[in-house]
Amino acid sequence: MVNTEGQLYTIEGIAAGLIMLMTAYIVVNSTSVYTLGDTHISDMQLEVLGSDALNLMNTAPNSTLGRSPLQTIVETDDAETFRSMFLTLVNNRAGSDRDHIQFVANVTYVDVGGSVRSTVLSDSLRPFVSGEHAVRVSDWVIVEKRFPDCSAQSCSGKHAVLVEVLLWRD
Amino acid sequence: MAGLNDDAQWIVLMGFVVSFSLFFIAIVLNQSTVIGQTTAEAVLEFPKNDIRDVRDVIIRSEFLDDDGIFFNKSNVQKDIRTLSLSRQNSVVNISSTPPTAENPYTTVDIHYNNGVTIYNEIWRSK
Repeated sequence: MVNTEGQLYTIEGIAAGLIMLMTAYIVVNSTSVYTLGDTHISDMQLEVLGSDALNLMNTAPNSTLGRSPLQTIVETDDAETFRSMFLTLVNNRAGSDRDHIQFVANVTYVDVGGSVRSTVLSDSLRPFVSGEHAVRVSDWVIVEKRFPDCSAQSCSGKHAVLVEVLLWRD
Repeated sequence: MAGLNDDAQWIVLMGFVVSFSLFFIAIVLNQSTVIGQTTAEAVLEFPKNDIRDVRDVIIRSEFLDDDGIFFNKSNVQKDIRTLSLSRQNSVVNISSTPPTAENPYTTVDIHYNNGVTIYNEIWRSK
């Protein structure tokens, strides 16, 4: 025979059980504390910003077929121009204050022997100590130079090199 | 309902409703920190800029001269293949058809594959 006594206690017991289960769920869930950096949103924004800046530098003035600023910089190994140009582009913000993005730029090339090597093109005078949360952007440049420097005529001609930039917000 | 005291049922019910809604709000708050994560990861994962840049440089390389002592076009395209493989983790293949008398257009066949994303294009000069 079903007894109808104690219904309210039963409901309360079920509700208390559900509340305990949910508490356990939330507690277990919150052991991984998510911060904005973990969600990669700022990485994405930094990567888009950096590759836009590189693309801009790799475009010849007025979209002519002439040399892009980046091509001239890579050919003449002009660390100073790259630094000032890149920092001006990426650190630009509305208002008067500047952003604090730092970078290290490398040129990766195929040498005469066919092996791939990198050389530092420029940096923002801030050492890269590998603790930074950096993103990598790259762009192709066709240069009229054989890396590493070589003056003999047979080792010149046009070559494709990859400009790789690590950038992070400091 | 013998022996059951049915006073204050509204108060008990409201107590349940409030406590459960607090939990749902806590879960919603919990999820709000990861907003945009999937989008950001998808954008980072997809090599949009790599493909765009390599396509651009391949098309530019196609119009370099390929004679004399330098073989500019062959050298540049060889560099592109080597550097893509070692620095961009991608296999890039280029083949092209120069313009002929019947077909005055240059056609470039571009294949890009980084193991996850595959991009193929037949580019024709207009």
